[in-house]
Amino acid sequence: MEQQAIWAIGIFLVIYALIISEKIHRTILAMIGAILMITLGIVDQDTAIHHIDFNTLGLLVGMMIIVGITSKTGLFKYIALKAAKVSKGKPKRIMIALAVITAVSSAFLDNVTTVLLMVPVTLSITRQLRINPLPFLITQIIASNVGGTATLIGDPPNIMIGSAVKELTFVSFISNLAPIAIIILVAYLPIFLWMFGKKIQSTPELQQRIMEMDERTMITDRKLLYKCLTVLGLTIIGFFLHQLVHLESATVALAGAFLLLLITGEHMLEEALQHVEWTTLFFFIGLFVLVSGLVETGVIAKLAEQAIELTGGDPLMTSMLILWLSAIASAFLDNIPFVATMIPMIQDMGTMGITNLEPLWWSLALGACLGGNGTLVGASANLIVAGLAGKEGYPISFMKYLKIGFPLMILSIVLSSIYLYVRYLM
Amino acid sequence: MLTYTYDSSIIEIRESANEQDMEFRIRALGGDAIDAAIRRVQQRFEQNEILSDVYSYVYKNHEYQFIVRQDFYEEFILALMRYRLLQRVQWDE
Repeated sequence: MEQQAIWAIGIFLVIYALIISEKIHRTILAMIGAILMITLGIVDQDTAIHHIDFNTLGLLVGMMIIVGITSKTGLFKYIALKAAKVSKGKPKRIMIALAVITAVSSAFLDNVTTVLLMVPVTLSITRQLRINPLPFLITQIIASNVGGTATLIGDPPNIMIGSAVKELTFVSFISNLAPIAIIILVAYLPIFLWMFGKKIQSTPELQQRIMEMDERTMITDRKLLYKCLTVLGLTIIGFFLHQLVHLESATVALAGAFLLLLITGEHMLEEALQHVEWTTLFFFIGLFVLVSGLVETGVIAKLAEQAIELTGGDPLMTSMLILWLSAIASAFLDNIPFVATMIPMIQDMGTMGITNLEPLWWSLALGACLGGNGTLVGASANLIVAGLAGKEGYPISFMKYLKIGFPLMILSIVLSSIYLYVRYLM
Repeated sequence: MLTYTYDSSIIEIRESANEQDMEFRIRALGGDAIDAAIRRVQQRFEQNEILSDVYSYVYKNHEYQFIVRQDFYEEFILALMRYRLLQRVQWDE
């Protein structure tokens, strides 16, 4: 192996280990890794910039702005309370309704944003019913990761895969991943009831209080809400049509974001840009360059070669390897760097004789997104909910979550294996 | 102990205690200005970083419910005072 490849592996592994240790912010580490790749001459600056996927970044920025402004309207509180009333104030029904709302929202919004909007209203409803909010919060964590799997914009791994593989459009993500996401969610709902049903009992008087509440007061700015819903609707239509009109998904998201800013007025601009998570964007930039070092020195190609050797190039075996490896890795590690590494590897497999890469992309998407349910550190949304719950006096420990999340994650990967086999490999 | 008085022609306050919280049922009788003041109390606790300090619920007929964590009782009373929903607040032995 060439000296530069050894350097690239060394930098990558050290940075990866430091990211896992969580001692230093992952964005700082990824950017330092990227800078090392360039300054040590492993990749030149032009090549490094070429490897940064601006479609991923643009899509993230656009959606962050749209969602940031929409979250100010009180829409989520309204929907959650309305669902509680439709559920007649009954805790089990509310738990299921909120899990489904979380899953659907996570399909179209970032998971972290979704849970950040759901947690306060969940705590409010459960306090009114005088029941433990943990079953609600845990089911929402799990639902957010399942829902995020369903679309191109639902979870960062899908955004990255969709950006890297031009043939995989918004519609193809929905038509290939939404069915299995729905199957998994439907399989989870009775399990949620079996696990938590007896722990969330309330009295008819308290349930009646929910029924008497006025959900219309939750909408804080009706005019802004109409504008947001119009733009969000247009943006989603744009995603459906993006390939037809020859536009990248980032262009659609950014067009939506700046159209919304145009109609809401300049006063929103500064605040909207504060919703852009610059740390996440720089984390992505750092990772793209970090992985480019492995790509340019041939390390990724070598790994792909070995994976094909291991599976004999058999599509079924390769798909299953990617699915299960992605799921287990994503349960314990950050799925973004993992997917950033896997994308060029799968692309290389295409040049090594595997003709139909589509099942491999779906295996990666399913493994990386659903794997996040396995442990508390598997996805950012899990940590955000655990952090908020802990602060409010309801700690979710690593082990407590593991006992619930890991078996459910395994179930989802078993269902995904069957789905992949039946739909693509049989 | 913190006690308070209010103008019963513009507002009606019922206070009760449960295991871990104090509950307030407040009814605005004095028109939109009173509703607006109650909403400001609600916003004040919604906009801080603690989610479980004060939960607020809005009902029909200008009725509001606040579930207040014991350790935020004084802060809540002082917020009612700040927005002129109370006339007097004082410490009693």
